[in-house]
Formats: sequence, C-alpha cells, structure tokens
Amino acid sequence: MLSAHLPACFFYFLILLLFFKKAGLNFFATLNSIKYFILLLFFIFIARALTVKGDIIFSLYDITITEQSLTEGFLVAFKFFLVMLTGLLFSTTTKPSSVKNAVQWFLKPIPFVPEKRVAVMISLSLSFMPVILKQAKEISDAQKARCANLQKNPVKRIIRLVLPLLKKTFISADRLVFAMESRCYNDDRTDPEFLPSGKEIPFLIGSFIISLSLAWL
Amino acid sequence: MNSSKQLRMTVYTSLFVAFIAIGAFIAIPIGPVPIVLQNMFILLAGIILGPVWGLACVAIYLLIGLAGLPVFAGGTSGIGKLFGPTGGYLLGYLPAVFVTAGISKGLGRKMSSDITAMLIGSLIIYAAGVPWLKVVTSMTYEKALAVGMYPFLIGDALKIIAAAYIAKILRPVIKL
Repeated sequence: MLSAHLPACFFYFLILLLFFKKAGLNFFATLNSIKYFILLLFFIFIARALTVKGDIIFSLYDITITEQSLTEGFLVAFKFFLVMLTGLLFSTTTKPSSVKNAVQWFLKPIPFVPEKRVAVMISLSLSFMPVILKQAKEISDAQKARCANLQKNPVKRIIRLVLPLLKKTFISADRLVFAMESRCYNDDRTDPEFLPSGKEIPFLIGSFIISLSLAWL
Repeated sequence: MNSSKQLRMTVYTSLFVAFIAIGAFIAIPIGPVPIVLQNMFILLAGIILGPVWGLACVAIYLLIGLAGLPVFAGGTSGIGKLFGPTGGYLLGYLPAVFVTAGISKGLGRKMSSDITAMLIGSLIIYAAGVPWLKVVTSMTYEKALAVGMYPFLIGDALKIIAAAYIAKILRPVIKL
C-alpha cells in the first residue's frame, strides 16, 4: 500500500532535478546547504525503521527491522526531502519583491488584514536584515578587539552582543520613522503595478497535469 | 492610536521580524550546544512590542517564511519546514509571544514579571514543539524530550535572564 507512492516520489524527484538543471543550480551545492536537515531526516528514517511492525527481515535481541518499516521510513524521509527541495528551488529562483507582491495579492480578499501595511512591513524587514547582520559583525569584531571573547559568563556575553545591537538598530529605525513621516507616508499610497507575465495559464495547466500524473502513479 | 504612533510601531515591528529571522544565524558558542538567539528575540518582541504588535510580528515572520523567503533556521523556508519535524516550535511561537506579552503587560512591566512571562512563553514553545516532533518522527516521549527540549534548557535560562536585563535597559531608549 505505502510502497505504491514510491514511483510518484521518484517521478517528482526527476522533475525537480530537471528544474534545477534548467535554473543552472548546482544540485550538490544545494544539498550542502541543507546538510543538517538531511541528518535529521536520517534520524527520522531510523526511528521509523525500528518502530513500525510487519514482516521481519532482521532481528537482534529486541531490535527488529521489517520490510514495511524500511519502506515507510524511507518514504517519509524522502517526502520531507522533496518538499524541502521544492522550497529551496523556489527561494533561490524568485525575487523577494515578487514574493512581497504575491503575498499582498493573496491577502487582499481576507478581511481585517491591512495587506498594504503587511507588504510594507515585509519589505522593511527584508531591508533591515543585511543592516543588522553588518552591525552584529561590527560589534562582535569590536568586542574581540577588547578581548571580550575571554569572558566566561554567558549571560554577560549575550548582553554585550545584543544590547548595543538593539540600541543601534532602534536608533536608526527612529531616523527611518522621521524620514517616512516627513515624506507624509500613509497606508493609502499607489503601489508600483504588479503585472502578469503571460506565462501564468500554461504554468497552471502544467502543474495541474504534473499533480494529476503524480496522483495516478 | 494616532498615525505617528502607528507608523513607529510598524517600523519597530518590522525591525523585530528582521531580528527574529537573523536570530537563527547569530550564535554564541558556549559548551556543546551553541546558544542561538532566535527564541530570545521572539520573547523580547513580546515583552517590548505588546500583545497585538508582538503577535503581528511573529505572524509576519511565519508568513514570509511560508511564502518562500529563506528566514527559518539554516536559511530554509517554505511549507516543508513549517509542517516538517520542527514545525511545532515555529507554530508555537504564535501563542507564546501573545501570552508572554499579555502576562508582562498585565503584571506591569517589571523585571520579575518579565522573567515569569518569558518562562511561561518558553514552556508554550516546547509544549507545541515536542509533541509535534514526537508525532512526526514517531519517537517515544522520553526520546523526543531528550532530543527536542533537555539540551536547550540551560541556554534558555541564560537567555531569559539576559533578555529581562536587555528589556529593562531598552524600554526607556525606545519610549513606547
């Protein structure tokens, strides 16, 4: 029953590999970036392999490995892996600004959610991230120059890294607030247009066909 | 709430979203398990921004992760992470930040009330994360606790003490 899903998974894996090739990404370099997740999947596989009951292949004292447990463990780990790969493929090939526009478009029909403000917050936080990382690096370099890495008390170490970081970024955020206020910022502004590229309908049909064939397999 | 205050809170909330996303990358190497600052920023967002904006902050963080921007731990994203083995912790951030902010506000923004609030908030995160891990990986409860909770407890205690001190210093600076 469960092993019936295996061909569908492999078919999908092949499609994903094709997309990786098309996007010009190195598949193994991508795997390297999720190596800890793969380790976690390996543990899930072992946990499943040791717990599911079925036809026994191998048994040693209380540990039994069965045919069903192996296939199910492999299938569960493989499915998580595929979903993860799809997410990676998406985030490496899509611009953050298009994601922001898409989120705004999806939130429009939901009541009580100010979709424009959410979109502004998303783009603000995306632009804050590199600034914070740069400042964190600067602060930790400054601390190292003063031998703060010899400090044994972990609470003091956290405070001495985070407190200046928060203070600095909040002061720069204050300046940003003044800048936005002085330019009369409000929620009812005209956005840049989010134009369809004309490839949406073929893409929808294509993904529908892939999903159908996966269900059939 | 006048528009100036609202704009200020909008910017501060996005700042905290950025901090939460980056908290997964800022680690302080102490002992075998490095202290990762992400859940400290979640709890700090609660006690500094208050219940409504704190909740909005975590919701937006999860939303951009769900939409496919690489903001979850290890530069990952997407539905696979949110509903994967460690997704319970991520979803647990939502009630945790709300309850933390509510308790901290209700008890009157003192250092002792902040610590109580953050303790309860951390417990909520584990209460959501550990059973989820158990169900997805079909481990026993003892194993799930040993993998998903015990190694982090000491670090969490340190982070809560540090966060209470940081909140005390930071509140007069940002004048909410």
